[in-house]
Amino acid sequence: MRNSSWASMFRSPFVVIVSLVTLWFVATFLVFPNANLLISTFLPQGQFSFRAIDKLVSSERAMNSLWHSFALAATLAVTVNVVGIFIVLVTDYFKIRGARMLWLGYATTLIYGGIVLAAGYNFIYGRYGFVTNAVRNWFPEIDPNWFSGYFAVVVVMTLATTTNHMLFLGSSLAKIDYQTIEAARNMGASTMSILWRIVLPALRPMIFAVTVLTFLTGLGALTAPLVLGGTDFQTIAPMILTFSKSTGSRDLAALLAVILGLATIVLLAMMNRVEKSGVYFSVAKVATPLQKQRIPNRFANAAVHVAAYVLFVVYATPVLLIVLFSFLQSSAILTGSITWGDFTLDNYATVFGTPAVLRPFVVSVVYSALASAIVVGGMLFVSRVLQKHRNPVTTMLEYLLHIPWILPTILIALALVMTFDRPNAMVGGQVLTGTTSLLLIAYVIVKVPFTLRLLKAAFASVPESLEDAARILGAGSMFTLRKVLVPLILPTAAAITALNFNSLLDDYDAAVFLYHPLYQPLGVAIKASTEGENNVDSMSITFVYTVLLMIIMGFTMYLVYGRGGSSTRRRKRRAGTVTVK
Amino acid sequence: MNKRTLTATLAAVLLGTLALTSCSSTAGEASSSGDSSGTLIVYTNSNSDGRGEWVTAKAAEAGMKIEIVGLGGADLANRIVAEKNNPVGDVVFGLNNMFFETLKSEDAVSAYTPEWSGDVDKSAGDAKDGAFWPLVEQAIVTVYDTNTVTGADAPTQVSDLWEDAAYDGRYEVNTSLGQATPQLVLAGLLAPYADKKGDLGISDAGWKQVQDYYKHGSPAVEGTDLYARLTRDEVDYGVLPSSGITSRDAEYATKTGVISPKDGVPYVTEQIAVINGTPRQGQAEKFIDWFGSADVQGEFAAEFASFPVNEKARAQALPEVVALIESLPKQDIDWSLTRERISEWVEKTELEYLP
Amino acid sequence: MIRFENVEVSFGEKIAIPDLNLEIEQGEFFTLLGPSGCGKTTALRTLAGFIEPSRGEIYIDGKVATRLPSEKRSVGMVFQNYALFPSMSVRENIAFGLRVRKTRKAETALLVDEIAAQVELTSEQLAKNVSELSGGQQQRVAIARALVLKPRILLLDEPLSNLDAKLRVQLREQLKNLQRELGITTVYVTHDQEEALTMSDRIAVFNHGVVEQVGTPEEIYNRSGTEFVCTFVGAMNRLSGDVVHQLRQRGGTGLAAAKTSYLRLEKVSLHAPTGATAAIRLDGVVAGRSYHGSHSTYTIDSHGSSIRALVPEGGGCPLEPGSAAQLYIDPSSVLQY
Repeated sequence: MRNSSWASMFRSPFVVIVSLVTLWFVATFLVFPNANLLISTFLPQGQFSFRAIDKLVSSERAMNSLWHSFALAATLAVTVNVVGIFIVLVTDYFKIRGARMLWLGYATTLIYGGIVLAAGYNFIYGRYGFVTNAVRNWFPEIDPNWFSGYFAVVVVMTLATTTNHMLFLGSSLAKIDYQTIEAARNMGASTMSILWRIVLPALRPMIFAVTVLTFLTGLGALTAPLVLGGTDFQTIAPMILTFSKSTGSRDLAALLAVILGLATIVLLAMMNRVEKSGVYFSVAKVATPLQKQRIPNRFANAAVHVAAYVLFVVYATPVLLIVLFSFLQSSAILTGSITWGDFTLDNYATVFGTPAVLRPFVVSVVYSALASAIVVGGMLFVSRVLQKHRNPVTTMLEYLLHIPWILPTILIALALVMTFDRPNAMVGGQVLTGTTSLLLIAYVIVKVPFTLRLLKAAFASVPESLEDAARILGAGSMFTLRKVLVPLILPTAAAITALNFNSLLDDYDAAVFLYHPLYQPLGVAIKASTEGENNVDSMSITFVYTVLLMIIMGFTMYLVYGRGGSSTRRRKRRAGTVTVK
Repeated sequence: MNKRTLTATLAAVLLGTLALTSCSSTAGEASSSGDSSGTLIVYTNSNSDGRGEWVTAKAAEAGMKIEIVGLGGADLANRIVAEKNNPVGDVVFGLNNMFFETLKSEDAVSAYTPEWSGDVDKSAGDAKDGAFWPLVEQAIVTVYDTNTVTGADAPTQVSDLWEDAAYDGRYEVNTSLGQATPQLVLAGLLAPYADKKGDLGISDAGWKQVQDYYKHGSPAVEGTDLYARLTRDEVDYGVLPSSGITSRDAEYATKTGVISPKDGVPYVTEQIAVINGTPRQGQAEKFIDWFGSADVQGEFAAEFASFPVNEKARAQALPEVVALIESLPKQDIDWSLTRERISEWVEKTELEYLP
Repeated sequence: MIRFENVEVSFGEKIAIPDLNLEIEQGEFFTLLGPSGCGKTTALRTLAGFIEPSRGEIYIDGKVATRLPSEKRSVGMVFQNYALFPSMSVRENIAFGLRVRKTRKAETALLVDEIAAQVELTSEQLAKNVSELSGGQQQRVAIARALVLKPRILLLDEPLSNLDAKLRVQLREQLKNLQRELGITTVYVTHDQEEALTMSDRIAVFNHGVVEQVGTPEEIYNRSGTEFVCTFVGAMNRLSGDVVHQLRQRGGTGLAAAKTSYLRLEKVSLHAPTGATAAIRLDGVVAGRSYHGSHSTYTIDSHGSSIRALVPEGGGCPLEPGSAAQLYIDPSSVLQY
């Protein structure tokens, strides 16, 4: 039951405590520091100036980059859905030979990203990539720069951001009542029309949720345009980054961030509306587990198989290359002429030869694990209260909790350092700057919006009668949450925790300003070992770190998804089907 | 749980896990920044290529326990400014004079006259107030590979690159203006055109230079080293701090040539200073006295191909480094103007001139 | 035992129940009957404590319970979709309420076994996951879970609607027997009038949030208080004005001409009744016949009405469609509104 009455909200001590803690967190860590920073940047002399707006509007480059960012986000919202839905369908919906292997190939984007991913694609299809070279041996007239600009950025980012589809759309698909499909087939519907009219509409809420995430990724695109965009297709994120680091230009960075943030808010408002309206989940009394569909048309079947495997190769090659490249000298990789003599263990020797090389790994694993556990644990309560009690205060809280999506991490980090560098009453008169806790706080903050969104969606899919049943049996809010609701959304919560963990593991933006000198996290360590004027092996070293990260992240994903093989997966999904009865 | 226990718990968790892996000698040395004894925290952007480890080891030999915190120049400067009310670091070295001017104007560093002050050219540091002191000099040079470009083909003036159509798109321009080197390039381009009446203190002709420089250049590719691009004939020229040449020639089998314009090239000087408000003032001063001394700077120069400002240390510098530096005249750059204006220049360039 | 007094329930602007007054006796099997969306489930959920009325009071055992949290009302509830917790075994589901009350382990096991025996769940079934049970078994689990806490009131929200017809009839009896055995006050929500008639001690017929009639199944069926009740409960012939006119002319003087008239199927006879009777004969033509095993339903066209009549199996030779037939109707059994 959605309850809008204030009285009911304040009657439960659980709700009151969660609300108060959330209010404190939002006020102390989201609103106060950022407001501080924004006020000092926009109103340096206590007076608002239109300088930033004037500067940006009169800059053709800024306007172009901004437009590119929006164009990229809009394009990705379409292309990622096409590829993502295709991937989910071939791995989970249609009968495709070797679907399990395909799944693993598509899942590679779970364990790497950023500069390495973009570079990986560049090494294959870029100007000096070996595919380009091979093709040019046969067709010399082909433009070596064919893989650059808008097209290349869209292709690479499309492939790189299907992660959310794989994880969240896949589990939604498993919850579809198979009887609806059987019924449609019985009435003579074709495979295609079942897909269009039954399956995809049932997936709509989740498609919408992942589309928002995709759109955000597109708006914030940084490395792919830098590596592949060329001069014609640069986005706004690098400019925001440059401006955030300069005191004088920080207002420009903030303004640009706010523009992107407004777009995000509009999208969020739309998403909230869709979430509120209607239940799309199966209303079947006894849901039947989904069975994989055969594609009846032989030609279509062959075409889908071919497409699935081509995509598999496209997904898997960069990963294999990165592993390969981690054993190569930088000069060989960068100049594109690889011989047997270029293979070396030197890169690994360099990384493992660094004193205390494991230390940053341990620090980052501890920070990331703590932060992901805290944020998922906390948001379990918060998203529950937000979902149960709709009133102006909770609505406002919900929007405020999305602040970290709006502001770039660098600004959030700077705001934290500057706010907590003196005793602050909000945190019990403590100074947090220079302590180990500030980075943890930052990590928790940046993961709040993503966690909140997905947990809220997960709670929304639990039927209300389960809560009523628990309540009438005397269970309190906490007990119901712990024993009834959390077990149901545990698969989603675990996936979110793993994703949060993986993405924090090599964070640089927050760490650089916040890390305690004695506890250097991995992102900073990688940057330190790859930067420097004399460091010519930086690319190889990056690859070595990436391979090590892939191992950790792969292990994390294995813990969440892989244990016990396919049987766990099936059982989890069946447990899911019970919930939508 | 109050904040202090939270902090303590977190530190304990971190420590505990670190102790388990028992991979570090410093793990047991955690101390809060408010402690006046204990490990000296040294901030630097000059810790790569084993320099950090070298300094740590040498300092330990000299009886000083230090922890190096290495970050990129701009990030490091930002961090120090952000932390100025509650400093975490005690000493900072390696940032160039431009960054140090910023730190000084933010009161983030405090003045101290090291024992070796007599051995360095005071004008290379903060001659007026002695807030920071010079260690190492670097030239920002335009290089090419003499294997592919003969000295005769190379321009004699850097400006030829964008004024002569023959070089169109054949030289790399670094567009990451948040970093130190591209900012120095910009400063070097604008220095001759200082004009009080011009936009941001620069005449229109100056801005035209900047515009043409970026317009005709080939933007640097993220993740791809300049020398990789030189080797695969993507570009012929690019900008580099002089200390990076030696190792690249070894790695890429190039033979670097340097354009030496008669007006000179921008020089930057890496500095050292005590961070304002450190509780370990005494230790910090001791470290500065030690690190800037002729012996240590000489050893450092021999090890890392640097060119020390300390005149007594220069004897130990590598001969080819000395030869290169001595062949390159110093461009006349008004550093105080640059410091004051650079962020505006970067902003204008970023908004209007970058490709 | 339970009393609704001027209860009004609204969802925002929309008023679901304008003014509900009901009294339910101790040990009674009381049914809320009505079409979907009539407010019967809302009334039940209000009684359960899931919805707070915007006005009026609810009394349980003579005490005001309007704002009492649901767990303090001593009510057990079986949900339409059972709302079993999918993450727990059958035993854990049943024991849930006991666990919340921190009942000792040994006692819990005892109570669960006891109630499981009562609802005929085997010990193997207790160990299973709820998703492994059939619909009927799941329903038993839901009932056991509600009863194990020994509530004073049992609320059932369309508990049989998800089951197939045969099982439904079977469980209907079992449920009724169980209720009688335990003597527990039961409030039952259904849209199935047959369920209501067979199981209930008393029925309240809901329409648009308003109780149209409260009464025993016989009262509801034979003396339907309103036109809605009469048409909703059981099958009805609606009589045309011409038929009423004919009846009035032939001695049915008590009938009003201007009202809508209804007649139960079993009140129509195709054979002249024996003995003294007020039955009036009408002529008609057989339009159709449907066979139900135990009886047949004939449709006779007469004076502009299609009048259906029940003839028990063996109650006379079958009439062929198209043949002439006579209807015998007692005007006193005609209901007028």
